[in-house]
Amino acid sequence: MSVADPLAPVAPPPAPDRSRRRTLVVLVVLAGLIVLLLSQGLLSNLNYFETVDQVLASRASLGSHEVRLEGLVAPHSIERTALGANFVVTGSRGSIPVHESGAPPELFGPNIPVVVVGHFASATARVFTGTQILVKHTAQYIAAHPSRVRAPNGSVR
Amino acid sequence: MHRTLARLLGPATLALLALTVWLGLVVTPPDRVQGNLARLVYVHPAVAWVALYLSFGTATIASALYLWRRTRSVTLDRVAVSAMEVSLVFIVLTLVTGSIWGRPTWGVWWAWDARLTSTAILGVLAAGYLALRRANDDPQRRATRSAVFALVAAINVPIIHFSVLWWKTLHQGATVFTANHTLKIHGLMAWTLLLSFVAFSLAYLWLLRARYRLEVARARRESDDLTAALAARVLEGRP
Repeated sequence: MSVADPLAPVAPPPAPDRSRRRTLVVLVVLAGLIVLLLSQGLLSNLNYFETVDQVLASRASLGSHEVRLEGLVAPHSIERTALGANFVVTGSRGSIPVHESGAPPELFGPNIPVVVVGHFASATARVFTGTQILVKHTAQYIAAHPSRVRAPNGSVR
Repeated sequence: MHRTLARLLGPATLALLALTVWLGLVVTPPDRVQGNLARLVYVHPAVAWVALYLSFGTATIASALYLWRRTRSVTLDRVAVSAMEVSLVFIVLTLVTGSIWGRPTWGVWWAWDARLTSTAILGVLAAGYLALRRANDDPQRRATRSAVFALVAAINVPIIHFSVLWWKTLHQGATVFTANHTLKIHGLMAWTLLLSFVAFSLAYLWLLRARYRLEVARARRESDDLTAALAARVLEGRP
């Protein structure tokens, strides 16, 4: 019987199957949880705002809770006040008058989508009392100087 | 050939970035609504593209290839850590440029909407990855654990991408990758936007290469140090 060469390479220990399986299980559980959360709409309160239509629909249950109200600023409705502005935000099925106190952002104006942070004064109040306006700018980029951009069909945009 | 290309990477990046600056600040027209603020569209989306898709994507794929079929390739591990470090830099740049854009347009520096929050979480995950690497001394264990971590963290990337569709966000929707393939940006502005993507992608490759070489140099120094220490120990033992 020969003595094994002490410097001979030894075979590595067998791969730890158990820890590998455990890793796999952890991954599957994590992925499953996220899919479950998404599919069940449990993350729906991650919405940053409620549209005018949604707020009007849930007006009764909303009471005077704080909400972020999103809608288009109706043209000709803006009335600047000492602190902020009074205006009307419109959705596709209705509109809500807003009294806002707090300097509006630079881009605030007619036909601009905005998010107004605030609440109704009471459960039955018609006017929404806002404390802050956020301008929700669109993803469109159109040149301000119309002559500089021409659409493929020749029309000037 | 490969050497020449690599050497040209830096100058090419700088040239394209300079061209983007010139087109973005001088040649392109201001936007109808946002005016000159819209010029940030030539920086912020391209930086976010590198952060989320290019660099985090590279780190994810390298990590997956490291684990899959047990390649245990040192190269892939180095690519993963290099890409993740670049990703963290670009995620921070994304948050900073977005914040700078948000203040004058939205009216706030920050909003806890789904897009912004999920991006911030990705930044924390990238930092966590780098911290995890420091918590392990054994190279193979470190590589395996961080690779698994990278794969788990990567779940957040599609969440960020679709966040503007799944939830109502203050952040705008897609300009280029829209659902019905209509480009919402016009003429020269669109070309400059495209150029900014190419320029920042090149900048990413440049940084990744530099960071990878640093990782290789670091490993070589460590092994040299070890050899020297062993040699010293052998000499000590001699009569």
